[in-house]
Amino acid sequence: MAATLKPYLTAVRHSLTAAMCLQDFPSQVVERHNKPEVEVCSSKELVLTPVVISRNERERVLIEPSINSVRVSIAVKQADEIEKILCHKFTRFMMRRAESFIILRRKPIDGYDISFLITNFHTEQMYKHKLVDFVISFMEEIDKEISEMKLAVNARARTCAEEFLKRF
Amino acid sequence: MAKNTSSSAFRKIDVDQYNEDNFKEDEADAISATVGPDENEITTLLTQGKSVEALVNVLQNAPLRCKNQHVKDNALNTTLRVLLSIKSSQMDQAVEALEQNDLLDVLMKYIYRGFEIPSEGSSGHLLQWHEKAFAKGGVGCIVRVLSDTNRA
Repeated sequence: MAATLKPYLTAVRHSLTAAMCLQDFPSQVVERHNKPEVEVCSSKELVLTPVVISRNERERVLIEPSINSVRVSIAVKQADEIEKILCHKFTRFMMRRAESFIILRRKPIDGYDISFLITNFHTEQMYKHKLVDFVISFMEEIDKEISEMKLAVNARARTCAEEFLKRF
Repeated sequence: MAKNTSSSAFRKIDVDQYNEDNFKEDEADAISATVGPDENEITTLLTQGKSVEALVNVLQNAPLRCKNQHVKDNALNTTLRVLLSIKSSQMDQAVEALEQNDLLDVLMKYIYRGFEIPSEGSSGHLLQWHEKAFAKGGVGCIVRVLSDTNRA
């Protein structure tokens, strides 16, 4: 399994670098509006081909580029019920605080666990390669975080059960 | 005099569709005649062990401009079969051959399409393909996949 992690992350990194060529683009429909085209889809020519990069059936990344924004959705590996619950709680915790993460989207795309929305304003304010690095390290961290939490939950459950059964 | 009405349906009408400068997909060059790669030919090439030639053949006949989704899916399945049959040791040679024929972009398109339908072990193999194709084609190769309207 570990053998595919590195090529997976490099593939995502290269695709993100390619997709993050963004420019300022005011709305064609409403005067003085400027919205991410990948969200409003006002015209077909502004939204580019979405691509998927998958590591296996469950873990995959969807990159939807457009002229002034790119949406990155991540599906995290969930082997069992505990991981599913932990992942849900974890992503929900972060998405509630989406403002402090700046590029985090408040809702994930259907079929994915967490989404980022990067617009041209973000690439103007921040370094592009750092943004790519952030997404990649996020993907590394979330796997680690969830497996750590799973271990902690199991350890806690074991101690609880021991304490409880001491009485009998 | 204007009639007073409580209906507000008119607000939902998309008036922008009547703009003159709206983007329209070119329908003129819909070549539906392209049938994609010949499956029998590919199978013979594969059984003879000429997998690199099979790959060049399948990518050359890719129905990219075709509008028929069924034809595209068939071509995708054939291409994936060829891609997965080529071993990692042969990949460099295959990528080299494709670069001479300007087929690297088409290969990249099919790699990305292949990621969408992951099966046992296919993603790992496609990741290797992606790495090799990227080493040869660079970021431009991926950008052309993203921006091309003739999707695989």
